[in-house]
Parts: sequence; structure tokens; C-alpha cells
Amino acid sequence: MKRRRLAAVATLVALAVIAAACTSKSSSSNGGGTTDAGPVTITLWHGYGNIQSPNGQVNYEAKSLTGLIDAFNKSHPGIQVKADYVGSNDNAYQKLTVALSGGTQPDITYQYGTSMPSLATAPNIMDLTQTVQGAGWNWNDFFPGERAAATVNGHVYGIPALVDNLAIVYNKNLFDAAGVSYPTADWTWDDFVSASKALTDPTKQQFGVGFPADASEDTVWHFDAMLWAAGGDILTPDNTKATFNSDAGVQALTTLQQMAVTDKSMYLDQQNTKLDDLFNSGHLGMMITGPWALSGYPDVHYGVQIMPSYAGGTHASISGPDMWVLFNNGDARAAAAVTFMQWFTATEQVASDSMIAGHLPTRASVLQQPDFLKQFGAKFPGSDVFAENLANVPKARPTITTYDQISQIMGQAIVSVLLGQSQPKAALDDAAGQVDNVLAGQ
Amino acid sequence: MQVSTGLRAAAAAEEAKRPRGDKGRGAGDTLAGWLFVLPSVILIVVFGLLPIVWGFVLSLQKASLISPIRPFAGVENYTKIVHDPLAIQAAEHAVYYTFLFVPISMGLAMFVAIALNRKIALIRTYRLAVFIPVAVSTIATGVMFLWLFDKTFGLANFALGKVGLGPFGWFDSPKGALPSVVIMTVWGWLGFDAIVYLAALQGIPAQLVEAAAVDGAGRWSTFRNVTLPLLGPASLLLMVWSTISAIQLFDEVYFVTKGGPLGATNVPVFYIFKLAFTSSFGFGMAGYAAALAYMLFVAIMLVTLFQFWAGGKMVHYST
Repeated sequence: MKRRRLAAVATLVALAVIAAACTSKSSSSNGGGTTDAGPVTITLWHGYGNIQSPNGQVNYEAKSLTGLIDAFNKSHPGIQVKADYVGSNDNAYQKLTVALSGGTQPDITYQYGTSMPSLATAPNIMDLTQTVQGAGWNWNDFFPGERAAATVNGHVYGIPALVDNLAIVYNKNLFDAAGVSYPTADWTWDDFVSASKALTDPTKQQFGVGFPADASEDTVWHFDAMLWAAGGDILTPDNTKATFNSDAGVQALTTLQQMAVTDKSMYLDQQNTKLDDLFNSGHLGMMITGPWALSGYPDVHYGVQIMPSYAGGTHASISGPDMWVLFNNGDARAAAAVTFMQWFTATEQVASDSMIAGHLPTRASVLQQPDFLKQFGAKFPGSDVFAENLANVPKARPTITTYDQISQIMGQAIVSVLLGQSQPKAALDDAAGQVDNVLAGQ
Repeated sequence: MQVSTGLRAAAAAEEAKRPRGDKGRGAGDTLAGWLFVLPSVILIVVFGLLPIVWGFVLSLQKASLISPIRPFAGVENYTKIVHDPLAIQAAEHAVYYTFLFVPISMGLAMFVAIALNRKIALIRTYRLAVFIPVAVSTIATGVMFLWLFDKTFGLANFALGKVGLGPFGWFDSPKGALPSVVIMTVWGWLGFDAIVYLAALQGIPAQLVEAAAVDGAGRWSTFRNVTLPLLGPASLLLMVWSTISAIQLFDEVYFVTKGGPLGATNVPVFYIFKLAFTSSFGFGMAGYAAALAYMLFVAIMLVTLFQFWAGGKMVHYST
């Protein structure tokens, strides 16, 4: 009897030790910032990877980020910013959902702009509407498309973290071999279609252009840019009805249909995993892609040109601004997070990040710095065209909670046309009907 | 619940009748026993039972995983399943996939296992080669098959073109996508089934096979009347196991086809994932996703019970 009780006590003690180990571990990682002594510690989640990537090359995105954070921590002794790499940005929203359910959200996290409407309903998310109007922020210096993406129902919930846009990236050697002249800044979509046809050669397994046809948002935003170039828009200005089935929408989708179905000059990547490899190995004449893709084309002698236009229209592009989103984990940490974000997204730091990581500047004032574009283009060939192309982005996609649903419906319509299963007008009308139902709250 | 309460009452009555003495179990013993199993019990409760209960509560709410506001929805999440064309489509695809995947993988595995069940040179190498795909990660398998089955650049279409077939769309064609997933998953799981069959084959007593030969049975007759019945328990195990994993198909679809093209590979778990963790079908669908997950659980349980019942009627031998 006695022996058994001893065993029971021993088990209890063992459990207590384990429990203590668990709690002390979690308190040191979470509660460090709340104590009065020492600096306030805040956590920042990002998806830039580690400085030394597995293939031994330096990851300049991570290097730029950690370099700036180190500089901040040195110059602001009251605040310690701790950067945590939490895996690919593609999963940042899911990871945050889990953290929010458990109340373990970071102070600052990197999120895609398209997640903003959902995030606006999250508990403890910081409403920055007043903050960014404060002294030293110069909020209107961020590009209009970025500010629109950061704002949900008139409230600012994000600070622009990264901006990109779409442009033509083309393989100069394939153009030379086919005797086609390079894209120019006044190209029309007709020029694009005929060049794509001329670059196509089935015997060499060579296509004029590659297109992401997985019906994801990647498919949809390529279409959005063309829709805007044709003078159309996704929804009515008050976001109550679909308008992408207008003549402009039909014109844009007919252009894609021409290349994919009629000319067969478009390689449709239905899983959206192969395009960069195919372009880099010389199987695709053109891509419509963003600045992030350039580093994936070391084997191609490429050029970059802004988007084509429709007759009389604009060379509209689209940008997908990503955001830093802040959560209130107590007054001290919230204030520290704001202080850091203001410093981190100021002109000087944005310019430094652009020159090290190759990111397009999020602020117009950086572009206006003398010689910035020249130096940027010299260090990252082609990226200067993307930087200038920021001015061609007329608007942002609707920042409403139903946007992902709308995108899903549009993506299916676009792909069904690209696969030759339906006609542009019919597919878009059908999709518009579904979107109207979604917008009406059904 | 009633059953266990009744059992407990019976046990308590039994306990009360028993004379107290050194042989009886005292309160301290019970306590010690519980304390010893407590760590495992805590793990099972926290990571197993609580999520199951919480998932059920969630299935009765209109909830997103982000917002703390979760209005009660009653059984609405369950009743609307029958009106959801995508849920029905996913269920149809699950049935279609299961009816292809389970017989093909088990039939091929039995064939491969018999081929591997002999003493020839390099037999270990062959066995290893069959098992390697099981050890390869799903993502690596996916990348490989994406290129293998590429409609333009793929080796499969190239080889079939040499004999005048194709080109096929594979993952890119709405009709061919799900059969292509079947091919990929059969390749990936064949080794596992083959190992189970191989173990069962080696457990068949040699004297039974010899006796059949003495009685003048040919190779086919021996297989049909001796080997196949004795593989019954292994077949039942594999059938239950493969059916459950077929109904829960997710990784391959998530990585390779993403439910496409045009919904051709929309399967239950993938649909539940998209409802719960993305806003592709709207915001606040986590409750509905939980309801679907519960229905899936019930469906799998019914199928499994049926298989055990039917298997019990057909499997007479054990080795």
C-alpha cells in the first residue's frame, strides 16, 4: 500500500515538473514584453525565409529584412523586434487563423492584400486609420492601389509591405529567331496576339505565351488587368453588382480565347507550377508576370515591357500589394509595433530594402529620388520597368469580404473558356449572375 | 452511454458484494493506476476527444475561424448539404475514385506480391523497388507526375505517341484528371499493399500447397482454392484500410490538381478544407465544413461496418 502511494506521488511530481517546463517555456516566448524591466519585445512574422537558403546562396530578401530590424533594435533601445520566419506567405493566412484561435497572434504579420477584408473582422486587429494620418507617416506617399488594398470599409488595417505589378517579360532570343520585333511601350493586344502566334512552333514545343490557368486568383488578376485596359471594371463602384461581363470583359476574354483556343499559341499551366521552368528553358516566348519572377530566369536573355493596350485605351496593369497587419497584444507592445512600422516603412528604409532585396518601392517618394531608377535597373535588370509601371496601375480589386468567392467564380468562367468549353459572353454572363447572388448575400 | 452506466453499476454492485480484504483493490490502487495512464489520457483528451466535441459544436454554428462571433445555426449546416451541388459532386467523385482505386491497387498488389514471393537472385532489390514509392513524399510524387503527365512536354504522351496513341490531357482534361489521380495514387500505395500481401503469402503453410499438388491441382486451381482464401484476412484489412484512405483523398488533389480542372477532382476532404480554411466559398463557412466533416465520418463508419460485416461472411480462414 505504502509503496503504491509513493509511486502515485512520484507520478504527480513528474507531471508537475513537465507542466512547469511547458509553462515556463511559453511564458519566456510570449510574456517577455510585458514585464516592466528591460525593453518591450515584439514579434514579427514573415515569409522571407532564412538568410542562408538551403542551396548556399544568400537570400537577399531575408538579409534586407533582418538588417533593417537589427538597425532598428540598435537605434531604439526600448524596443526589441524579434523576426520569426513562419513559412511561405501562401500559408500566412491559415497560420494566423490558428494563432488567433489560440490567442497567440504575433504583434506584426505579413499578409496578402486579398486577405484584408477577412482580417478586418479579427479580434485585436489594430485599426490604423487615425495612426497613419499622424505626423511623419506621409500616408499619401504610398501608391493609390496600395492604400486602397489596405483599406476596408473606410478603415485602414494594413501598412503596405510589398508591391508588384504585371508586365510582359519576353525571351529576346526567341523573338530574334522568329524574326518578330520586340514589344514596345505602345503595343496593342492585337500586336501581342500576332507576336504570340508567330512565336509558336509545335515542332519545337514552343509557345508564344504561358498563362496560369488553374482558376485561382492568379488567373483572375491577369484577366482583371486586361479588363481595366479595355475600359471595364470588376464590380460597380458601390460593389453591389458584377460588371465584368460588359463589352470590355468580353473583349478581354476573347483575346485570351483567341490565343488559347483558336491559335493554340498559349501554354495553359492548369496546375500553375511549370511556367517559370518552361520560360527559363526557352519554351515560351512571353510571360505576363511580376518582378518576383525575374530571378527565376537566369538562363534567358529577357526583356521587360509594360502591358499592351486596347485601341484608345490605357496600358493598365494590376498590382497585388501585400500588407503588414498589426495586432494589439497590450498597450506597450501595440505602441512599440506602431513605432517600428513607421520607421520600417519610411522612405529611407523602403529605398534601402529595394536596393538590397530588389523589391519595388512601396512609396512614390523613393522613385523620385535622383538616380534611384538608374541604380535599381542596373542592379536588377528589368525591375526598373516594373517600378515605373506602378504608375500604370489604375485601381485595386474590391476590398470586400466576398472577394475570394467572386474570384473563385470568375476563375472558373475564365478557365472554361480557355479550355474551349464555353464562349466568353455566355461564361461571363453566367458568372456575373452567380456573383450578383453572392453580393446580394445569398 | 446507457450501456456503460449499466456496466459501471453492475461493477459497483459486484464490488460491494466482494468482501473487503488484502486481495481487493483499494482506492489508492485505482488512483495510482489512473495517475500512471494520466499522461496518455491527457494527450488523447486534448488532441483527440476535445477537437471531436468542439468540431461538433462548430458544426451547429455559423462560424469562421477568425471572428469570435459565432451565432447558433442548429441543424441548418446539416440540412443544407443535400442542396449543395459541390458537396454532392465531391461525394460522387469520392465514390468514383474509391471504386477505381481500391480494386486496382489491391489486384495489382496481389499480382506483384505473388511475383515477389519466390527465391530468385536479387529478390531483395525487387522488393525494395516496389516499396520505394511508399517512402517518397506525396509532394515529390506530385511534381514527378505533373511533368510525366504534361500534355506537351510529358514522357507519358511522348511514349504513347510512339505507338500512335494520344496525346492525352491527363491532369489537364476535365475527364482525365480523376483517373490520372488514380494512376498516381496506385503507384504511390502499391508497395504498401504488396508488402501486406507478401507477408500473408509467406504465412501460408507449405504443406497446404504441397497437399493441393498431390491432389493434382494445377497452378491456377491451387491459387484459386488454396492461396486466395488464405489471403482473405489480409484482403479484408487492405480493403478497409484502402477504402478509408480513398474516401479521405486529399494531399494529391491539394498539391497536383487543386480540385480542378473545373471541379473535376473536387473530393470531400479537399472541399471541406477549402470551406474551412480559405474564403473561396465565402466567409464563415467553418461551421458548414465541420458539418460536412461529421457526415464524412458517419459515411466512412457505415462503409467500414458494412465491409467488416460482409468480410466476416466471406473470410473463413485465418493464417
